[in-house]
Amino acid sequence: MPELEHKMRIEGLCLYYNGFKALEDISMKVYCRRITALIGPSGCGKSSLLRCLNRMNDLVEGARVEGVLELDGEDIHSACRDLTALRRRVGMVFQKPNPFPMSVFDNVAYGPRLTGRKSRGELEEIVERSLRRAALWDEVKDKLRQSALALSGGQQQRLCIARVLAVQPEVILLDEPCSALDPISTQRIEDLLAELKSSYTIVIVTHNMQQAARVSDYTAFLTIENQGEPGRLIEYGETEDIFTRPRDQRTENYITGRFG
Amino acid sequence: MEPRKDFHQQLEEMYLGLLRMSNRCLEIIEEARTAFLELDGAKAESVIAADEDVDDMRYSLEEAGIELIARQAPVAVDLRTIIVIMRLAQHLERVADLCVNISKATLNLAGRASLSPWIRENMDEMFRRSARMLSCAMRAFRDRDLSLAADLYEMDEKVDRINRAFLTGFDRGSEEELELVIRVVMISRFIERIADHAVDIGEHVRFLVTGSVREEDSGDQGKSGAGTEA
Repeated sequence: MPELEHKMRIEGLCLYYNGFKALEDISMKVYCRRITALIGPSGCGKSSLLRCLNRMNDLVEGARVEGVLELDGEDIHSACRDLTALRRRVGMVFQKPNPFPMSVFDNVAYGPRLTGRKSRGELEEIVERSLRRAALWDEVKDKLRQSALALSGGQQQRLCIARVLAVQPEVILLDEPCSALDPISTQRIEDLLAELKSSYTIVIVTHNMQQAARVSDYTAFLTIENQGEPGRLIEYGETEDIFTRPRDQRTENYITGRFG
Repeated sequence: MEPRKDFHQQLEEMYLGLLRMSNRCLEIIEEARTAFLELDGAKAESVIAADEDVDDMRYSLEEAGIELIARQAPVAVDLRTIIVIMRLAQHLERVADLCVNISKATLNLAGRASLSPWIRENMDEMFRRSARMLSCAMRAFRDRDLSLAADLYEMDEKVDRINRAFLTGFDRGSEEELELVIRVVMISRFIERIADHAVDIGEHVRFLVTGSVREEDSGDQGKSGAGTEA
């Protein structure tokens, strides 16, 4: 089988927070228009790895990355790289829905406004398209001027996804996007991810292994051997294989719950 | 504390339940063997009566498996173990059904026929070989022993050979009654099917160990199992 086209390539990546090595020698490819799940126990560095993908760790004082991290074959750490442009191409959705304290419309229009002057008509079109893609339009079309904070948790999270979609990213990173949501809202987000993957490359960190099994095409398992040691990538492969016949005993132990 | 302790304990109980079921099936095969060789109607009845227990064991294993899948969302080796236990329980139940068929045929012969030494020796041989195969298949399951599971194909050929001998062996101007001939050929076929179930169990062991549903090399070997015909 020919290898799938990849969107991002990580090679020998190490991440340090001051003197502490959080990730060691991570190498993997993130495939185009596929959902890749990062799983592993708390503290294994999966969120840190996710945050490397759009240089969110730059905001952390003392954080330093070594190794190769490419987007479409270009190193995202190159000196000339425009960080805003990178984050427009690689958007992020966080664990806790974090709408801005403004209207539903303004939340979604925020990015497009920031990245260039747009006419009212253009903005309206972008907002509607983004909300539709985030499967939220029907629920909020009559309350676009109301505060986003009045929406339910599940709606707020889909609004955050719409906000990311509005700037037309290529990669969407999601850091435990459903951990604060009820099962119905979680199902909506999962359905949405399945929809979005035809157009976007998606990487999701999840603590819920069944969610990884349900939504992702590829799964990466990271772990730490002992407290204080860096997180390492133990196994990476097609989700079906990881969840039915993992190659590494450590993966097996983790996903079957034989390891805390 | 080991995480998911209850779940793994329930899985262990399923595993032990299956081993108990296979031991019961081996006892039933032995009982069917002696019932036939001695043309003992009472023993044959006892084999037929035991079928209900075996059915019940299978339902219990199936219910336990369905519950674990629904409630525990098992993955990897746990998922494969549950699936394999449920499949094996079905094969064992069929083995007990075949013993019922054998015993019904035995009942028809009891008190009305006598067995020639040739029939006795070959039937005895088939019963023993099939029981040994089932025992090996279960040991392969218990020890996750792929090589033992693979040995079953060769063992099965010997059983098939004796079965074929029954089909052709009566052509030598035998004095046996036609009914006896038909029933013996039927019984021989039933025993041969028991051996096929043992082969199938071996194939499930391969899935349990490797996670692969398909055979790596699809030779003729796999075709000797009980398959869907069972």
